[in-house]
Amino acid sequence: MIHFLKSFSLWELLKGLSVTRKKLVAKKITIQYPEDKTPQSPRFRGLHALRRYPSGEERCIGCKLCEAVCPALAITIDTDERDDGTRRTTRYDIDLFKCIFCGFCEEACPVDAIVETRNFEYHFENRGEQVMKKQDLLEIGAKYEEQIAQDRETDAMYR
Amino acid sequence: MSKIIPKELSAEVQEHVVDWLKRFPDDQKQSAVLGSLHAIQHEHGYLPVVQMDALAERLEMPAIAVYEVASFYSMFELEPVGKHTIAVCTNLSCILRGGEDVLNYIESKLNIKCGQSTADGKYYLKNEEECLAGCCGAPMMQVNHVYYENLTEAKVDEILDVLD
Amino acid sequence: MTDIVNDESQQDLVTLTIDGVEVKAPRNTMLIEVADQAGVSIPRFCYHKHLSVAANCRMCMVEVEKAPKPLPACATPVSEGMKVYTHSELALDAQKGTMEFLLINHPLDCPVCDQGGECELQDVAMGYGGDVSRFNERKRVVRDKNIGPLVSTDMTRCIHCTRCVRFGSEIAGVSELGATGRGEFMEIGTYVEKSLSSELSGNVIDLCPVGALNAKPSRMKARAWEMVEQSNISAHDSFGSNLIMHTLRNEVIRVVPEENAEVNETWISDRDRFSYEGMYSDNRLTQVMQKNDGEWQPSYWSDALHSIAQTLKQYDAEEIGFLVSPNQSNEEIYLTQKLARALEIKNIDHRVNQIDFEQQHADPAFPWLGQSIADVGKQDAILIIGSDLRSEQPMLAHKVRQANARGAKVFVVNPHYCKFHMPLSGHVVVKPQEWLAKIVGLLAELNNSSKHNVPSDLNMLLSTGKVDSDMAGIAKTLLNVEHSSVLIGNLMQLHYEYSSLRAISYWLSQLTESSFGYVSTASNSAGASLLGALPHRTVMSKTIDEPGMNYQQMIQSPRKVFVLLGLEPEWDCVLPTQTLKALQQAEVVIAINSFTTEGMREYCDWMLPIKCYAEAEGTKINMEGRWQSYFKVVDSDDEIKDGWKILRMLGAELELDGFDYVDIDDVRQEISQSLDNSFGFSNELPSLPKIEIKNWDEGIVFSTGAIPIYSIDSIVRNASSLKQAQDLDESVMMINSIDVEKHGLIEGKWVKVSQDEDSSIFKCVINNKIEPGTVYIPRGLPRSEKLGGVYAPVQLKNLSVA
Repeated sequence: MIHFLKSFSLWELLKGLSVTRKKLVAKKITIQYPEDKTPQSPRFRGLHALRRYPSGEERCIGCKLCEAVCPALAITIDTDERDDGTRRTTRYDIDLFKCIFCGFCEEACPVDAIVETRNFEYHFENRGEQVMKKQDLLEIGAKYEEQIAQDRETDAMYR
Repeated sequence: MSKIIPKELSAEVQEHVVDWLKRFPDDQKQSAVLGSLHAIQHEHGYLPVVQMDALAERLEMPAIAVYEVASFYSMFELEPVGKHTIAVCTNLSCILRGGEDVLNYIESKLNIKCGQSTADGKYYLKNEEECLAGCCGAPMMQVNHVYYENLTEAKVDEILDVLD
Repeated sequence: MTDIVNDESQQDLVTLTIDGVEVKAPRNTMLIEVADQAGVSIPRFCYHKHLSVAANCRMCMVEVEKAPKPLPACATPVSEGMKVYTHSELALDAQKGTMEFLLINHPLDCPVCDQGGECELQDVAMGYGGDVSRFNERKRVVRDKNIGPLVSTDMTRCIHCTRCVRFGSEIAGVSELGATGRGEFMEIGTYVEKSLSSELSGNVIDLCPVGALNAKPSRMKARAWEMVEQSNISAHDSFGSNLIMHTLRNEVIRVVPEENAEVNETWISDRDRFSYEGMYSDNRLTQVMQKNDGEWQPSYWSDALHSIAQTLKQYDAEEIGFLVSPNQSNEEIYLTQKLARALEIKNIDHRVNQIDFEQQHADPAFPWLGQSIADVGKQDAILIIGSDLRSEQPMLAHKVRQANARGAKVFVVNPHYCKFHMPLSGHVVVKPQEWLAKIVGLLAELNNSSKHNVPSDLNMLLSTGKVDSDMAGIAKTLLNVEHSSVLIGNLMQLHYEYSSLRAISYWLSQLTESSFGYVSTASNSAGASLLGALPHRTVMSKTIDEPGMNYQQMIQSPRKVFVLLGLEPEWDCVLPTQTLKALQQAEVVIAINSFTTEGMREYCDWMLPIKCYAEAEGTKINMEGRWQSYFKVVDSDDEIKDGWKILRMLGAELELDGFDYVDIDDVRQEISQSLDNSFGFSNELPSLPKIEIKNWDEGIVFSTGAIPIYSIDSIVRNASSLKQAQDLDESVMMINSIDVEKHGLIEGKWVKVSQDEDSSIFKCVINNKIEPGTVYIPRGLPRSEKLGGVYAPVQLKNLSVA
């Protein structure tokens, strides 16, 4: 009986339209990307960067823990002893096609050298460019250092 | 102090070595090392490496074993030091009775720190000395292996100034 | 129940329980040893099964029932009814306490430490360490020492277990590291700055439980977890040490020992450990090279092999000579001789360190050690004739030292003074020209007192022999002990009277009921003999009716064509000048080698690149007759080929039958089919040479010499760190001060040394350990390539004005 009445009065249709009516007047959540941008967490995992100390010395000590932890085998490192006797990388490659942006490398790093920045807007034009070299990564690090440092500080108490 | 140290043991040291060797069985020559090192130190004021090497060869033991012994005991000096060795006790009894003040006084008087020798090579103030069992006369010090007890600043002056 | 029984002490077993498991073990075995064998793990740092017990790290504390305090398992002998708890509260408390103390001064630099990931301290700290340190004061810092080009130091990491110190005095026989100072100021080091001189020094790297001592050549190159490990065997001496090679991305990073209780235990020599660097030297031959009108040009394998085949066909078989390095694998040697014999070439030899071939028909089929390597350590007396054992066979020297430490008497008779790392019961240095007379004297002495007799042919000779006082003791000891051996080495093989010296040595062993053994230097000398790289024998030592020319004959009446396999003749051959002359005169010289030398570029017409040991696979036979395989560990450049493939292709190019192998196993199978066990392991000498003692004029100066430890083969010669470690001035000749005066030489000045028409110049250095009347010249080096045989009369002429 109820079923019969409901089908006759187009109850379902009205119910559906009521959602439409509510959303019609509600505040919009669509973002006009790229003019507008979604907010990002300080833990956002975007493009990688290698950091330096304020003195200009590169942080990375070539311990290869990030290489070991990387589940996608995206990181390749060669190390050697630098003239001053410290352990340094002679090659630090991240293949961004392989990378799954899990952030394990960041977590494994004992010296906060490899980090993931908030930058997720980048592209490649030529084959092979997806492999970020040590120099590229250091440059990204230099460019975003302020933001990176700020994010680490915000997140420090949870780490 | 750029005196050239001979590579061979002197006749006098040799005599001491032989004397020490007499007291031990033939197959345990290295037992003579302590006594022989004392003889070398007596002659040179410290233990030069070349002399230790010569002793090692004489006693048929590895050179490193001689270095080990020499560096273990604090009464062996491995670097040239001043003529008179001063050791001030700063262990419990002495420190309660002002041993530290005595040490500070000597440091300022000779213008050197513990472990250093005076520029004229006359005095050598030994690094932190442990209890020399002279607690009944604390504070005490040892100068050239002689005990001086119940020290005061005046007494220290008296003792040190007469040394030549 | 686990039974731990050594055959030596079967009688006296005690029963104890470890963590509730009942175990039987010989009385007085240390607890930790029993626990290890029963599979109970006890943490430890200072304990090592091949070193003495120090009990100074205090990590292995365990609870023993009825003992008031925890006891160190490494220094507690087991006894009847003992109840041990390794993980009780008391034991764990003690272990955790020790761990905390050890970590107080240990730096937290694991991410940059090469030991990280394989560190005993790291492992144990995971199990027993606290997660937060209660120690907030300053950690101590220790200055790093420079102890040579092979071992790097980070002494702040040291936990003073003293394994390296004990290794020096107990295994290497050279005490170089020690613990100086005491308490907080105790440091491990050499006290005076010096390089470790021991030829086994690299083992301290493996012994060090932390990252204080590490391999310098591989410093900071790779982490422990990312390397791939593969088994291999030593390529440099006939001891055949078992190795593990660690590689990362197709590059050998380091080499460590593989435990083999019957061969190398847990040690390897520095030569085996660091020689891999040679593979990456600039002298590597990476392309097929062909000489056109005096100009070297790269070529293709197919072209080169085709034209080589055409060239070989143009010459008579007698005009062609094959010289093979005794370091090559069985497969390469077998195929080389098969190829030569298929072409009816008889002139093939691997004995490039021999000049006296008179008795080659009496050579044993398989010149071996005469006993197993393990047996060497059980001898009661060992007579070494003609071997600088420490430099030729560092690991065998260790075995001899082991016997010596057990109380064996070791005697050495050498043509020059050689440093040994054990107290010798007799060290006789003879002039090369008087060597024969000296050991004939010894044999004469023995002949009088032994119950055995020498062949009657020798009686005449022995009647002239007179024993010297320094040799008399040898005779007495050899006769009186139960297990004795006579070992002859490379220094004898180099001698111009090798046949006679060997025969006398052989009879020395027979009269004293000793075993007689050859200590061949090269890694596969024995295999090369057995597989017929000889002019007078084929595989399995089957005699050829008309023997071809041996090494010396090929050089003296130079062949028109030479094929060199794995040889650098100017340094590997005993007659460098003569060999070079012969090669320069030859019309065609084909070198199949891994490296090039300046000389090669001059006299060769083709250079074919062959794979080095870690790039190829193969088998070798070591001095005790152990067949061991080695494997491909890294890939080489595409142009560099396997030895067996080169020979197979050449065989096919020459249209020879039986060269259609698909893989190396086919070759191996063919070898094993051609072998039967009929040759036996016998070093018997069936015939005697005509022995004559020549009298040389008193005033004649003889040269003597040996190849330095890190110059013995092409791989080692190219290994840069070993070269630094050798620290050898190759321009130096050593001479006694008496001779310096007699010949008007000046110390430190240049001297012209002439042998017949050959001459070279050396710097004169006085060393009174050199016998008067002899001059020591290091061989196998660019300067000595201008000279002839090792032992020969020389003229000395001062070249400089006082």
